[in-house]
Amino acid sequence: MMLSIRNLNKKYGRFQAVTDLNLEVSEGEIFGFVGPNGAGKTTTMKIMCGLLRSTSGEITLDGVDVISHSKRIKEKIGYMPDFFGVYDDLKVNEYLEFYASIYNIKGPARKKITDDLLELVDLGQKREAYVDSLSRGMKQRLCLARSLVHNPRLLVLDEPASGMDPRARVEMKEILKNLKGMGKTIIISSHILPELSELCTSIGIIDKGSMVISGSVSEIMQQVYSKKVIRIKVRDRLAEAELLLKEFPFVDKLVSGENTIQAGFEGDEEDMSRVLSALVTGGVPVVSFAQLDGNLEDVFMRVTKGDEE
Amino acid sequence: MNINPVLLKELKVRMRGWRAAGIIALYLLILSMVALFIIYTTFMNPYGSTIDPQVSIGAYTGLAIIQFILIMFIVPALTAGAIAGEREKQTLDLVLCTRLRPISIITGKLFASTSQTLLLIISSLPIFSLVFLFGGISIKEIIQLFAFYIMTAVTIGCIGIFFSTCLKRTTAATVFTYGTLAFLAFGTIFIGVFYIRIVYQWDYKNFLPLLYTNPLVGFSSLLAGQFGYFGGGLDFFSIFYLGNPGSNPNTLNAIEPWVVNVIFDAVLSAVLLTLSAVKINPVRKSIFSYLKFRKKAKKV
Repeated sequence: MMLSIRNLNKKYGRFQAVTDLNLEVSEGEIFGFVGPNGAGKTTTMKIMCGLLRSTSGEITLDGVDVISHSKRIKEKIGYMPDFFGVYDDLKVNEYLEFYASIYNIKGPARKKITDDLLELVDLGQKREAYVDSLSRGMKQRLCLARSLVHNPRLLVLDEPASGMDPRARVEMKEILKNLKGMGKTIIISSHILPELSELCTSIGIIDKGSMVISGSVSEIMQQVYSKKVIRIKVRDRLAEAELLLKEFPFVDKLVSGENTIQAGFEGDEEDMSRVLSALVTGGVPVVSFAQLDGNLEDVFMRVTKGDEE
Repeated sequence: MNINPVLLKELKVRMRGWRAAGIIALYLLILSMVALFIIYTTFMNPYGSTIDPQVSIGAYTGLAIIQFILIMFIVPALTAGAIAGEREKQTLDLVLCTRLRPISIITGKLFASTSQTLLLIISSLPIFSLVFLFGGISIKEIIQLFAFYIMTAVTIGCIGIFFSTCLKRTTAATVFTYGTLAFLAFGTIFIGVFYIRIVYQWDYKNFLPLLYTNPLVGFSSLLAGQFGYFGGGLDFFSIFYLGNPGSNPNTLNAIEPWVVNVIFDAVLSAVLLTLSAVKINPVRKSIFSYLKFRKKAKKV
């Protein structure tokens, strides 16, 4: 297990920011940390990175305790905060070289790492520019490159795409996909939920300091929605299709539209193929047959609505 | 040899652009004008146009005082924003989440600020060398004076860094640093006078220990000692009444106040640096949790 959090608690005075949080992230996984503002995401991430002391609980990274071995841990973690500043009067390559020098990377190795990282985040042509002159999206990418300078095994990215325009978001997503391909374990918090569902192998939803739900995207969908939803489009013979579907006990709540039927479905994939073949052999001209993708945004709204209602 | 990365980065950033050159130019301009003024007024005096060691002592004292005042004003401005500024710019967390130890961050910042002061001090050497034209001042005295400057600059730097670590805003840190300096320079004298007036009824026998912490007293005693006005140790008032040296026989063989002042500065700097390093560590244990742990351990 790359990261393990057990019964993590954090109090700021009387305010309980994180309550008994448990989390496990395996190596190579991309874990999406989702929650409304003030839910405790940043606090948890800062504790993971040794930037905040927990009130109680235990965090181990690759089997090593985060609190008692903070120096060893910091060699393994790359952190990108949600808000960060840059140094005036420092060029892009000097910025990365400064962080590389902290990790004792010297001479040609330092230059190579700087060049490689600038290439990775597509800032190669900006290496001689002053950091202060970069756009917000470029600064975010530079900060991501900074967090990778010591080749960490775990990347903790707090809202890496916040404040970016759509193009910069797509670019950031591409970089994260590359990092996924490089085998990095990534913990990423974001409000852009559709992007997370596409990128992440698993997701945890945190609300008011507690982990409400966690698991793979499909597991969460199943937990939140008791049933899957299938959508069938036919060329004609809609009534016959409805009759055929009603024969299956795991299909219910049929809603018909113009040449389409939407139905609740409680079976597995094998049952789904049985339904499809029954329709086809029954002579229904099926144009499309698909399970509707769950909407993570909808899941987020459902599980985090809390006391507001 | 590994040079502190924070120090290297700070030096690069601080020396880039016109600001650093501008500060040095302004600093040297002030010192040069003081030196020229002293020499000019001496030579304008019809009785002072011959080569007289008193001229060099006058010029040396004038330059030394102006340089000391400039250091007292410049160092807080250079150091008080060292950590608070990083916090304001939101760059501190990025450094803290690296493998760099808190003490390395603190010392890197301190040495970067004091290096800039050191540069100012060293760049003033050619102006000080003017006094050699007239004789009366030795190299040893210049070295002593510059060593005292450096120690004072480091101490003021440590005070600035300490407040910069404790307070969130650069402005607040700057105000507290100047406030502490004002207390050490003038507050201790005020307390000293009050104490001598009330407790000793002016019948004092020894140098008041509190005044050893005063940089002005240390500096005055260094200058006074260099010109042989006093026999090493001196009482409180003999620092300020230069024409009435060491009249108190109890203090004649005492240790010179500037030496004690330098030792005090070294101890204070070490304490403040340690406290700053503890304070900046985000996962430090609070004193309360330490006490709780002690209580638990005792019970077990």
